[in-house]
Amino acid sequence: MTLVTLRQMVAAELLKLWRRRGVIAVAAFFTIGIIVLFYGVRAIEHASDPTVHGPAGGLASFDRVIELMSVFFGALAAIVVGTEAGTSDLSSGVFRDLVVTGRSRLALFAVRLPAAIIVTWALTLVALGIALAAVFGFGGSDALPGAAAVIGVRQSPLPGTLGASFVIDGVLWTLGAQALICAIAVGLGSLTGSRAATLTLLIGWEVIANRLLSEISFLGHLRELLTNVALGALKPGDALPDTSGVLPSDAVAVVVIAAWCAVFVFLGARSTIRRDA
Amino acid sequence: MACDHIIETVDLTKRFGERVAVDHVTLRVPRGSAFGFLGHNGAGKTTTIRMLLGLTRSDGGTMALRGLPVPERRAEALARVGAIVEEPHFHGQLTGRENMRVLAAVRGPETFARIDGALARVGLAERADEKVARYSQGMRQRLGVARCLLSDPELLVLDEPTNGLDPAGILEFRQMIRSLVAEGRTVFLSSHLLDEVEKACDAAAIIDGGRIVASGPIAELTRSRHSELVIVCDAPERAVELLLGAPGVLAIERASSELLRLRLGGAAAASDLNRRLVLAGIGVSRLEPVHESLEQRFLEVTSRLEAVA
Repeated sequence: MTLVTLRQMVAAELLKLWRRRGVIAVAAFFTIGIIVLFYGVRAIEHASDPTVHGPAGGLASFDRVIELMSVFFGALAAIVVGTEAGTSDLSSGVFRDLVVTGRSRLALFAVRLPAAIIVTWALTLVALGIALAAVFGFGGSDALPGAAAVIGVRQSPLPGTLGASFVIDGVLWTLGAQALICAIAVGLGSLTGSRAATLTLLIGWEVIANRLLSEISFLGHLRELLTNVALGALKPGDALPDTSGVLPSDAVAVVVIAAWCAVFVFLGARSTIRRDA
Repeated sequence: MACDHIIETVDLTKRFGERVAVDHVTLRVPRGSAFGFLGHNGAGKTTTIRMLLGLTRSDGGTMALRGLPVPERRAEALARVGAIVEEPHFHGQLTGRENMRVLAAVRGPETFARIDGALARVGLAERADEKVARYSQGMRQRLGVARCLLSDPELLVLDEPTNGLDPAGILEFRQMIRSLVAEGRTVFLSSHLLDEVEKACDAAAIIDGGRIVASGPIAELTRSRHSELVIVCDAPERAVELLLGAPGVLAIERASSELLRLRLGGAAAASDLNRRLVLAGIGVSRLEPVHESLEQRFLEVTSRLEAVA
């Protein structure tokens, strides 16, 4: 397969995803909508009682934003988009017509993942852009001292002393977390072929199981195998609130994340190659 | 690669558990023809097609498309094959043209240039920018054919392509099949509509219970093994007396007051019988050899199997 064909196949996947207005609307709500709500509520709180509620913006608020955009609402957006990418050919019945072209089934599977990631990242980057505008726009004089000086100066990634490096690290970490969740969703979607089953399993995992299992102390180091715990280990700034203090090393976290990706991508690819069309 | 047969299977077999869906099917489809593949629902037509196209694995036998063995050289073989299996499916949220672009992207860059021509050929150029979700069944079938044409196919495999078409659409479809064959393409038409196959195809195979029970040119399949003749004349009773003694006449049936149906042996000639009647002063207003329809042939070969079973 040539690069031109690969690019055109990814473009075709993107076209399919963008035209699914319901999916895009839900994913946009979980990314852009949530950020607008987040800063909107904070701005109203600050306006109503500035003595109790600090400024809505400020770089410190960005730490909360990357949590929202990675393992909370952003994860739901990645699940919705990744599931659609993984299941749309199967659920529409078009998979059979694609197989009949003679194109390798592995290629048909492989282009789903970049398309899902591109759509999720596009929405997330818009959301993060809005968030950064709010960070500075609603920062206030106390919360954002010398914003221009902070940007471009690498500082310790701790709340309150956040700088440009934290913003960059935070954005990269958020995008990385979404790529992981997209990979799992595309793989599981391609494995099950069912949108409903994939969404149920992944939302159940992300919202309930991940958090519940991380609370079970007798699981000990096994909890380091959880996606959110591994992601939390690599998160810049504050630790994730739902990892219950479990903090694997960076190396372990990277291996765990790579393993989750590899397993689901393998299962999705294998199912796509072997399934009757 | 040039090859006399664009589709060739030898002992092709597929099992679903204990059930043998396709049972040692040997099939040869000549190039440049319209070939019908007939069978009851569940006879094994679609399973055979699915194996040929790599949609499901076979459990035995060999297959070749365009002279290339499949699945070994499947990608190369399918590069110039267009197919609709059961019914064409589309992304409803996309327009007809966008659905074509999705498939063109998978086929390869050179196919994009064929999109407009293919849409025009099936009469969808004007409505190509409407969402497919709003298309009628007939429009979807036509879009499916347009999608097949993207590969500039040597072979089109069409599984029940006239489903959902009105009579005018069926006629258009038949004409399209003939025009595709006239261009040197091969059309493999799977159907349970016997009349459709008889009118559109040059040759056919009949599959029943997973086995090929008859195959050959349509004219051969519909040729009566017992030659029959229909005669309408003004003195049928005298005609019966006269013709019963004629050489080669095995039996005569009075189908109606004026119509006689004669069953002939090898030696009888219609012209000789006509001469006898006219010389006897009997006016003959109709004298016509009877051809067996494909439907009769189909029912005969398939019901014979049922009787054996």
